[in-house]
Amino acid sequence: MVADTDKQDRKLALVVDDSKMQCMVLAVLLKEEGYTVFTANDGARGVSMYIKYKPDLVLMDINMPVMNGYEATRQIKSVSRNSLCPLIFITSMDTDQAYIESIEAGGDGILVRPFSPEVFKAKIKSIQRISDLYGQVRSLQQEQQIDAELAEQMMSGVIESRNFALDKIGIVKQAAALFSGDIQLTAQRPNGDVNVLLGDFTGHGLRSSIGAIPLAETFRAMTRKGFTLTEIVTQINRQLYDLLPSDLFLGAAFVTVSEHDKSAYILNAGLPDAYIFGVSGEIKHQIASSHPPMGVLPQLLPNTNLTVLTVDADDRILLISDGIVEARNEYGEMFEFDRFEVSASAGVIVGNVSERVLNDVMEFCHSMPQEDDISLIDIPCGGWTTKIKATDKTILPHRDKFDIDTAINLPSAWRWQLTLSGSRLAKVNPIPMALSQINEIEGDSEHWQNLYTILTELFVNSLDHGVLELSSKLKSSAEGFALYFKERELRLADLKSGFVDIQLSYHPMEDGGRVIIYITDSGRGFDYEKYQEKIQQGMADKKFSGRGLLVLEQLCESLVYRGKGTVVEASYVWNV
Amino acid sequence: MPITTRELKDVNQLVISIEERFDFSVHQKFRDSYINVDTQNTQFVLDLALTTYMDSSALGMILLLKDHAENFTGSVVIKKPSETVNKILEIAQFHRLLTIEK
Repeated sequence: MVADTDKQDRKLALVVDDSKMQCMVLAVLLKEEGYTVFTANDGARGVSMYIKYKPDLVLMDINMPVMNGYEATRQIKSVSRNSLCPLIFITSMDTDQAYIESIEAGGDGILVRPFSPEVFKAKIKSIQRISDLYGQVRSLQQEQQIDAELAEQMMSGVIESRNFALDKIGIVKQAAALFSGDIQLTAQRPNGDVNVLLGDFTGHGLRSSIGAIPLAETFRAMTRKGFTLTEIVTQINRQLYDLLPSDLFLGAAFVTVSEHDKSAYILNAGLPDAYIFGVSGEIKHQIASSHPPMGVLPQLLPNTNLTVLTVDADDRILLISDGIVEARNEYGEMFEFDRFEVSASAGVIVGNVSERVLNDVMEFCHSMPQEDDISLIDIPCGGWTTKIKATDKTILPHRDKFDIDTAINLPSAWRWQLTLSGSRLAKVNPIPMALSQINEIEGDSEHWQNLYTILTELFVNSLDHGVLELSSKLKSSAEGFALYFKERELRLADLKSGFVDIQLSYHPMEDGGRVIIYITDSGRGFDYEKYQEKIQQGMADKKFSGRGLLVLEQLCESLVYRGKGTVVEASYVWNV
Repeated sequence: MPITTRELKDVNQLVISIEERFDFSVHQKFRDSYINVDTQNTQFVLDLALTTYMDSSALGMILLLKDHAENFTGSVVIKKPSETVNKILEIAQFHRLLTIEK
């Protein structure tokens, strides 16, 4: 800033003319306008003086020895590319040709002799005005650039740095502008499943990234609280519809990878096909867009279903934005899906999809500038499971021996109860509600993760096997979970009667606490004695397919079925 | 001219044709082409027969046109998209939002 004002106070002009007389006349006029004046008597000397003094104005003769005015101007303009130093030709050649050539050489104007001192001064003023405007634009641009860089740093701090498992999930992000319109989010659900989102906001630059922060917050908070993918998609769509103008929206692909279920749940809303590759690089599935982008419609279209696919632990799910397939080379050809598939397949085989694909795209485009943001997410379907250790279960010393049969009469710090019936049971997920109650009253604790797992298993058992009468045998085939999920969706959509009742009670203890859960459903019940035998058997044999009850056995202090199996009471206890 | 309009008064249609690139660079011209058409029940026909390229900001512009049309109880019909352009419309599932005639 100081340098600028300093310069403004004593503006510098350079006069390049082989006539010393002319130089003197112009110097006098310029001094009257407040310039400090340097002179040069040939083009070459003019260029070196220009480089030395960086003047605010250059007056240039055309015909000179050593180097003429056109050539000197070309050289000056090539070294002053980033600043507008106005340059005016002063000549007595009153021809169209001289005029055209001087502008083409890079001159900003021409003044033909003879002229009066008044005309000369007016010309200098007008050219200086343009130069000042240029300077203002440049400094505004610089300010904007600095602001944008700061905003971008904060934005990526909020968004990317908080992603989950960046060591396992491969992410490519090449922004076309400073702000990327593409967004990549990963987060872990309380049960260990992984949620991933690849989004592409309309356009790029700052305008396209305003939706990114609320999107990231919603995605993370809902994932952490254990909402299902459908619930998260529904909420994100509504939020972006409310928040963004109608021409701004988000093409997005959503994925939940559940290693335990050997399943992937996918919704593609406005992105190019998502892929699932097998370990030897073969394409197992392609999931095409089946819904308009997020934020276009006030609600999701009716019958919007996730695609549920059975996956192996070494399969990989690839999400891409259109920047990859639409990347162009110098012949105007696009990278296209077939090139992407070959590249991705090779990447799967060598175990580094993101690097391989990015290299191939860059090589293909060669020197062409990147037009759109390029994004890819490579998600492994296995390697996520954190084994539940036997030590997770707290066993209290004998004196505190807990008898669940009398637990209902224990004094409690608080109780929470919710009965969901009919269509509400199909629409509402009570587990996040229950957990948020616990969180709000008791604050955050690492134990809530176990509690989440217990509540989810118990509730899903009651809903699926009790109310919906789904048989877990469905899950045993290779495509089992996908079939099971489909059937579940159908029955849920039809659900008109039935209920599940959930009660929690919280019992503080001196050195920890206990939560007792009662869940009742309207189903027909099941032969729990036989089931428990099987569990004991399964635990002994160390081969057990139904994780659900095994996990419950491992985490709960006690687990008791009543009635015909329609009531379950479980207690979870912890020490601090 | 990349954008031309024809008003077919007898059938209450405004035909907007877009040549070559349909992207943010024609934003203002595209808006100007329909913004003063406020006759009730107008059908806005978007003729994409000569459109060679379309990006996601064009999809946004179509949604703005749709808003405008619906303000005057009108509708939007997209006609004759090329294969490339149709692919973009398909990925965005725009046939769920308005009529596309191939």
